[in-house]
Amino acid sequence: MTLGSFLAGVGFRTNTPSFEAGDEITAFVTGVEDGTAVARVGDSKLRISNAPADAVDTLVRLRVEGFNEDTHVGQAEYLETVGESSF
Amino acid sequence: MATEDSDVADELHEPGEGGGHDIEFYGGRIASAIPLALFVAWAIFQSGVLQVSDTTGLVIGMLAALVVGMFFTKGSWASYANTIFEGMTQRVAATAIVAWLWAGMFAQLLQDGGFVQGLVWAADVASVSGPLFPAVTFLLAALFTTGIGTGYGGTIAFTGLFYPAGVLLGANPVLLFGAILSGAVFGDNLAPVSDTTIVSAVTQNADIGGVVASRFKYAILAAVLAFAGYVVAGQVMPGSDVAAGATASLDGQPLGLVHVLSMLTVIGLAVAGRHIIEAISWGIIVALVFNVGSTLLATWGVIESGLQTAPALLFRAPASSGLAQSLDWLPFVVTVEEGTGVAGSLYGGASGFFPLIVLTLLIVAGARIMIQGGGFEAIQAFLLNRVATNVRRAETTMVLGTATVNAMITINTAAEIAIAPYIARIGERFNINGYRRANILDANTSALGYIFPWAGGVLVGYETMRGLGENIPVVNPIDVWPFVFHGWLLFFVFLAAAVTGYGLEYVSDRESEEVSRA
Repeated sequence: MTLGSFLAGVGFRTNTPSFEAGDEITAFVTGVEDGTAVARVGDSKLRISNAPADAVDTLVRLRVEGFNEDTHVGQAEYLETVGESSF
Repeated sequence: MATEDSDVADELHEPGEGGGHDIEFYGGRIASAIPLALFVAWAIFQSGVLQVSDTTGLVIGMLAALVVGMFFTKGSWASYANTIFEGMTQRVAATAIVAWLWAGMFAQLLQDGGFVQGLVWAADVASVSGPLFPAVTFLLAALFTTGIGTGYGGTIAFTGLFYPAGVLLGANPVLLFGAILSGAVFGDNLAPVSDTTIVSAVTQNADIGGVVASRFKYAILAAVLAFAGYVVAGQVMPGSDVAAGATASLDGQPLGLVHVLSMLTVIGLAVAGRHIIEAISWGIIVALVFNVGSTLLATWGVIESGLQTAPALLFRAPASSGLAQSLDWLPFVVTVEEGTGVAGSLYGGASGFFPLIVLTLLIVAGARIMIQGGGFEAIQAFLLNRVATNVRRAETTMVLGTATVNAMITINTAAEIAIAPYIARIGERFNINGYRRANILDANTSALGYIFPWAGGVLVGYETMRGLGENIPVVNPIDVWPFVFHGWLLFFVFLAAAVTGYGLEYVSDRESEEVSRA
């Protein structure tokens, strides 16, 4: 662990983070909208086309397929489940 | 306890989909909150109304609440009973308990090893004047509590030693008590060996070292402002009227300052990413070397006096036992006519956490019943649909919710454990990362535990003050709340951080380390 651990997060973070196509991220699946699993990151949303049926509240690896900077909504591909909610 | 495979499976499976739950209650899903709600009511009555700060009393309250809750269960009570076992065996409780036992031993070694006397010596050498005394006391109490991890221990030590000296030097008594409590808040919040730090990390699935590193950006900001506040208020507020004609006595021992190294060992290793058990174990070894080594040097006449005010470990064996008498040449064995048992810093440090450990097991059992009965989901759905509708409002809800529960319940660790599942789930629904969730949870737990007159930290300081003698003025607990600057500033820093996004990190930005490394 370096000085970076102390300085990480210093500054003001947007409530609508952006993603680039091809990004691989880890995120909790936070709900289901119109039959599609969604990972809400702040107030941005990634719709996950092929998530498992019981994915809500699990921690998953995703590959971002596209993201609209204006609506803060994007699409992502489910890669694998890597964890679950603390409770 | 279940013995068949099917029973074991029944114990472990999660609530079903589509609204089906493991336990049904008369009164609906919200009735599953009865055990925890009764416990909160008991805690408010015991600690808030009667001002009795007794963790074992809360244990009885939680036991009674679990029994009462059973009468609201529909059908067989076996599922309810099994859920108690299921809740108690969760990893989150076990991880906190193990870390507490290690932290307790380390903290007691520093307390019994003259650490505070070292700080007293430093203040004496610096010739701090009355108006500046509260500001310097805040810094030293913050350093001390960051070392020992317990804000209550820091409050007792500083109220016993610094408070009378400061008052006799002309410091304002209320401001000085506020500065001591502020230092306790700082250490309770930041120390890797603090019980609240440990709970905040393990309940939010984050490693303790990473949590400590990530909270400097809030703690230092609040501390700088608090220090400035004590400097200014010290000049403006009237000094103590017992100062005239009295001689202040600061009787310290410089050798106690070696425990700054014990403290830095633990913080350094934890922040460097070593497992918290490993980090504290090294801290214990370093502190033991200082304590026992200095005592040996004093015995041999190399130095005037050692650090230990209590042995690290002592077996008090019955004098009637011939075998024990044959072993009483060992430095850690003594034979006594009555009062047999085991004593010492290691023993007292670990056993001091036993009531809190039992209480924690029972609270997580109560929380599990609320989860399996659907009450947790009902409250969570209300919060997410009506209150925490975007990430800024979610974080504001987390800050205010933690602060409110901690303002009501005297023993802040108990309040923290009760609110932790909500902080986890609401934060996860917005992918707020584990470090940020742990920081929101712990800062507001630490801050609100030392402000109001019924708070445990205020009460232990008040009790200590009452035993100081007639010449030392006693601060009424109701007078000190505006002067716990660091507590208030930490709360407002987090409120501002929630509203503005200062320090906010998402799970996708930076994942916290695995909880196995807690």
